[in-house]
Amino acid sequence: MTPETAANLVIGIKYLAIGLVMLSVIGPGLAIGRLAAAGLEGISRNPDAAGQIQISMILAIAFAEAIAIYALVVAMLLLFVG
Amino acid sequence: MENSAPTKAEKKPRMWVLLVIIALNILASWAIGPVMPHVQVAPEALTPVLRLPVLGDFALTNTMIAVLLADLVLFWMAFRVNRDLKDGDLAPKGLAGVLEAVIEPLYNLTVQTANKWADWIFPWFASLVFMILIVNWMELIPGVDSIGYFHEAHHGAPAYEVQELFSLGGFELSTITAEVEAAEAHGEALGFVPFVRVASTDLNFTLGLAVTAVVAVQFLGVRASGVSYFKKFFNFDGVKEAFSKKKDKRQFAGLFAFTDIFVGFLELISEIARIISFGFRLFGNIFAGSVLLFVMGSLIPVLVDSVFMLLEIFVGLIQAVVFGMLTLVFMAMATVSHGDH
Repeated sequence: MTPETAANLVIGIKYLAIGLVMLSVIGPGLAIGRLAAAGLEGISRNPDAAGQIQISMILAIAFAEAIAIYALVVAMLLLFVG
Repeated sequence: MENSAPTKAEKKPRMWVLLVIIALNILASWAIGPVMPHVQVAPEALTPVLRLPVLGDFALTNTMIAVLLADLVLFWMAFRVNRDLKDGDLAPKGLAGVLEAVIEPLYNLTVQTANKWADWIFPWFASLVFMILIVNWMELIPGVDSIGYFHEAHHGAPAYEVQELFSLGGFELSTITAEVEAAEAHGEALGFVPFVRVASTDLNFTLGLAVTAVVAVQFLGVRASGVSYFKKFFNFDGVKEAFSKKKDKRQFAGLFAFTDIFVGFLELISEIARIISFGFRLFGNIFAGSVLLFVMGSLIPVLVDSVFMLLEIFVGLIQAVVFGMLTLVFMAMATVSHGDH
């Protein structure tokens, strides 16, 4: 394998790695969907508590989204710094 | 009210202004094609690097300029509100009225979450929300990330071909026409550094805010419960119970002691992980948003970027509120005394 082929192979594997890292956002996606569903059901059962439910729901969604953001940061580091 | 929806006669000039701006946009992107700007995680330094004795290297970066601009906006808002409220009007007009509509829900939320300590927590919460909101929304202003200066490109660094638009005396206005490698440029290849860059795309800013928030939470915990606040992390009560004289307290006490110590250690790790979580949540959202704006702006230079700017308005607002709300919630949890079981 010539050095040029090896260098191209490394670049190709880098892009493959970036794509693979972003597969992991399926977890937070499902989590946010379930949280929103639970929040909506809670609001529909008890419309008076809508304010408190909304606040707790947004908080929980922020936690779940942070995990997806970790994966995005790893992908961006690979893309721009790696 | 006199001026409700604009009448048909008033709408027409606005529509024409908008169409002229879109036409100018199309003309500009046809004359000089858009170039994808170089994106890097580290902020660019505007001054030469200064070596400080203890702290290490220091340079004024373009994200620091953004923070200074946000500080100026905050000071202006504070002075304006002070002046508006001087007459003692119960229904303030002007900026004070607008800000009151924003601050009142925030204060009610704080009182709802942390009953007694709301007056101590509220300045932290509101300052974080306003600061991060202004800094996040700066990426929507035209000129941020796009107006800067050119310099000699180092070998291997991204470089651009530059075309001069007009020059006035010593001042020269140029724009980028294409991206080239620094080594093989036949014209002159220059590197570009923007004057202002969105502060939340700088890990220094976001991690600094995160460390400040988490340390403030610990400080509030000590203020609320004294030094025994740290018993949350170093929980040796089970060990004390295991060696007590009373026989009925000693059953299973060893197991409880072990789990208490382990849970306390996990709490400590979780507290430190909060710094990383706060910092990277804000950084990741805003950095991804600004990269999205760059890429979309350079792929389709007309109209598409506006849609993503709408998204960025929303994302910037949500991230500011989430940072503040999480700080609020953790501060409220720190004031509740541990040891009810």
